[in-house]
Amino acid sequence: MMISKCRFAGLVATAALVAGGAFAQEAQMETPQGFGKRPLTMIVPFGAGGGSDQLARAMAQSMNEVAGLNFQIVTRPGGGGVAAIPDFMLAPADGHTILQHIDLIVAAYAKGDIQENPAEDWAPLCTTQITFNQLYIAGDEDRFSDWESMVAYMEESGEQLTVANLGQVGSMEQITMDMMEDAVGLEFRKVAYDNPSERYGSLIGGHADVLFEQPGDVRNFIESGQMKPIVTFYEERPEVFADVPTHRDLGADFDAMLRFRGFYVKGGTPQDRVDFLVEACERGFNTESYQAFNADNYMDLIDSFRDQEGTRQLINDTVATYQAIYEEMGILE
Amino acid sequence: MEAFIGGTISLFGDPTSLMLFFFGLIGGMLFGAIPGVNMLTLGAVLLPFTITMNPENAVMLFSVIYCAGVFGGAITAILFNIPGAPENAPTCFDGYPMTQKGQSGKAIGAAVICSAAGGLASVILMMTSTGIIAGWAIRAFGPPEIFALIFFGLAVSASVGAKTLWKGWLSVMIGLLLATVGTDPVGGIRRFNEGSFLGLDYSSYYLSAGIHFIPLILGFFAVSEVLTQAINIATGTRERPKAGLEFPTIAEFWQVRYTMIRSTLIGFFAGVLPGIGATLGAFLSYTQALRWSKNRKNFGKGELEGVVASETANNAATGAAMIPLLALGLPGGALTAMIMGIFQIHGMEPGPLIFINSSELVWITFAAMFWANLMIIVLGWVQTKTVVHILRVPFRWLAPGILVLAIVGAYALRNLFVDVWVMFLAGIAGYFLRSTGYSAAGVVLGLILGAIGESAFATSAQLLDYSILNFLSRPIAATLFILGVLTIVTSVINELRGADQPKALID
Repeated sequence: MMISKCRFAGLVATAALVAGGAFAQEAQMETPQGFGKRPLTMIVPFGAGGGSDQLARAMAQSMNEVAGLNFQIVTRPGGGGVAAIPDFMLAPADGHTILQHIDLIVAAYAKGDIQENPAEDWAPLCTTQITFNQLYIAGDEDRFSDWESMVAYMEESGEQLTVANLGQVGSMEQITMDMMEDAVGLEFRKVAYDNPSERYGSLIGGHADVLFEQPGDVRNFIESGQMKPIVTFYEERPEVFADVPTHRDLGADFDAMLRFRGFYVKGGTPQDRVDFLVEACERGFNTESYQAFNADNYMDLIDSFRDQEGTRQLINDTVATYQAIYEEMGILE
Repeated sequence: MEAFIGGTISLFGDPTSLMLFFFGLIGGMLFGAIPGVNMLTLGAVLLPFTITMNPENAVMLFSVIYCAGVFGGAITAILFNIPGAPENAPTCFDGYPMTQKGQSGKAIGAAVICSAAGGLASVILMMTSTGIIAGWAIRAFGPPEIFALIFFGLAVSASVGAKTLWKGWLSVMIGLLLATVGTDPVGGIRRFNEGSFLGLDYSSYYLSAGIHFIPLILGFFAVSEVLTQAINIATGTRERPKAGLEFPTIAEFWQVRYTMIRSTLIGFFAGVLPGIGATLGAFLSYTQALRWSKNRKNFGKGELEGVVASETANNAATGAAMIPLLALGLPGGALTAMIMGIFQIHGMEPGPLIFINSSELVWITFAAMFWANLMIIVLGWVQTKTVVHILRVPFRWLAPGILVLAIVGAYALRNLFVDVWVMFLAGIAGYFLRSTGYSAAGVVLGLILGAIGESAFATSAQLLDYSILNFLSRPIAATLFILGVLTIVTSVINELRGADQPKALID
């Protein structure tokens, strides 16, 4: 009975579409005048199927639930997340174009690769995912089985192993790997892939030996045994990864950096629209479906939510951290 | 086989599934045919409703939209030189010249049969060997092989539609140059974002976003065609193309049998490889058809084989794109990412286990894609007999319609009016390119292959320690490179000897 009811709902929904009728959901929030009449564009700075894309689709879904907004998701990979910025900056500041972006863009600003300060020149809406990083090897890897045996293999064979990650010099991935290299006195070949399917495929297909990623993004690969975590970059071992050593367990001494993902509109967007979107973002985060999504993706292990002010704070702190690291590494002129 | 029959029975035995099947088929075809909207638009609108469907129906619906949507854009490409979607762009190269020769029926007929054939072949390959192919392709083809494949494709693209080989190469080079505009795909360095031109300083987000190929294609093909026809009307030299109703004969299909087989394979592998997909599959297949054809001189001027190559390959890519998604959980493009989303909404994970845990879903999807490709023949046949009559409408009424569609298509890309101006500029440039013997198709080939090629090249360089010679240490890449170089050398020698000149003079 339950099933046929569901099917009936599907039929009605489809019929409504066929008839060309707009199927507007009842809005529980007061929408600003003239806003949200057409679908919003959400720009994702990486390829389809990765963590950012999954997040954008989940958030679009829950913001539709709470505010009746419809989204068109556009993936624009390239340049470690920088290639999407011109597309975002070209759009009018009317709140109809939302950028989803991650800490990489804050690092790019700290380094001077982009001029736009995400905390000041854009209006942050909220941050909905904060997570730690891990290193993975392929499930069928037979040369080594964990970090220590991998290091032993590298020393013995003299082979330089390849790490698939994203971002450029100075990205979280690269800095973290630099510090790991310092700890063991070895060097990896680092290859940037902006397209998640190519990045994951490179590990499974054997073009790369190690993958730098966040557990939520590759959860299905971990569960199916295609990928195996070997290092967690975090101060403690999360319970679900109790048998994976942290970088500190392996003798590396640095503060692990975290990945965060949030949403932005352009500076100069009318304040009532920004306020509306900020509220929609927070309500969206608190929906049952979004909470389930975050829990499924290990995004509940760290408190993942920051409101607008919290996001600004997070960005400013991150800029300061990165600038200190860059000065130490001599990257910053 | 039993599983396939089982899937078919579940598909046609349930009224909801059946209705969704036809909805996806017709919806995909319509959205594919109209520039400015595409199957992704339809997919995005439908995605929220998949929550209330059962997962079998939801995945089935999206896979049917995928098959039908890739075919749909061929009709407008052939009749009006407007590709409904990027993967139909190479169909314009020969499809539209065929329309002008009064062979529109033949071109559409070929597109219908080849889309169906390519799609069916790829579904059958998919049903028989998903796991093996996915595992093999992802091991054998890394970024260096993809770059070599693109180089191999570029090596012949100079022979499309230009008067001489030199003009052909110049056209391709213009395309490659245009592909460098925009942010560097690996380092994120902005290019052309500021500078000075003729003494005027400029600073532009538009250029650092890159020149998108959709306004360019619409300009080169649709707008420049309207200009050409308008000038022909003004000078009284225009002949209205006859609305050809006849289908290609079996003998004609027999002549292009190798092209069909080759294009199916190319399209299939393009679909399997993450990040390549139907568009590149169609372009590469077109360049390979050109390489092996006896009628090379005729390409870009209305050669049936060109339409066959492009349409077979883009549909062959659809079945193939499902392979990495289902077998490895790797969505290669936006539509497969949406299907991935459906799996997640229903708490399922694609991957090696899906064939065991959800075999019913897998087989309903396979069966639906099989029948959708077969249905393309029926719907396509009806279209061939009806849509071509639009050509009887006088051009002075048709032209504004074509321009409106082109403007909508360029604007809808990212809601930017600049894109519309770029389209008109490309239209004027396209008119002069064509009237001086250069090739608009060559420019588009250069732009599309250049953008993907640069990204593959930069990634390969990191993988191969920045040494060009390391490319040759990988057998597949080395073979493709050598073949590409040989192609260029032979074409240059032929051109210098003037081997094809007598034939060209007769033309």
